[in-house]
Amino acid sequence: MKNTIKVERAKKNWTQAELAEKIGVSRQAIHAIEAGKFVPSTVLALRMAKEFGTAVELIFKLEETDLV
Amino acid sequence: MEKSKKHLSDRVPVYALIWAVSYIGSLGAMKALSLSQAVGVMLTIVPVIAFALFLYKFYRSVYFMDEVQIKIQMEAAVVAFGLALLTIMTLGLLDLATVLKQEDWAYRFLVPVLVAYYFIGLFISRRKYHIDHEEHD
Repeated sequence: MKNTIKVERAKKNWTQAELAEKIGVSRQAIHAIEAGKFVPSTVLALRMAKEFGTAVELIFKLEETDLV
Repeated sequence: MEKSKKHLSDRVPVYALIWAVSYIGSLGAMKALSLSQAVGVMLTIVPVIAFALFLYKFYRSVYFMDEVQIKIQMEAAVVAFGLALLTIMTLGLLDLATVLKQEDWAYRFLVPVLVAYYFIGLFISRRKYHIDHEEHD
């Protein structure tokens, strides 16, 4: 699963800590999600999309390896 | 809410420290002093209560952790449990094979080993999720 969190953050000029505070997780969690090391729950992904003011499928995209 | 979350997670190491001090204290007192069996049992109960309290606080703090933190703790517990099982199985078999001598080892030696297993698990899991390789932006 790839994501565009870093790009979206840059657009808003938010740090990882700022985004973390907005969606109620730790900065380490944002780092892990951004690095693709952790796939967030649907609730967290939707919360993130809401904060960015975009659709969740524009932030998270399946990769070839994720397809069955 | 945020304040209470932080307050709770900050307190967990304090309870862990209380347990460690009570355990080491009981251990030291029982080894150094010639105590009656009743006092020995009482000294055993003190770290048990301290550990139960720590476990309760730790369990409550998990409720306030985020998804990544919960997964890290779960994986650390899985590693620690697996290693603990392996250690106990090995010691049990060695005990049956009478390789172990009573004067050389005791159950109390397992306590720091099991604690170390949890930290090994935590180290592995934190590395997996790149928690120890953070970017600060």
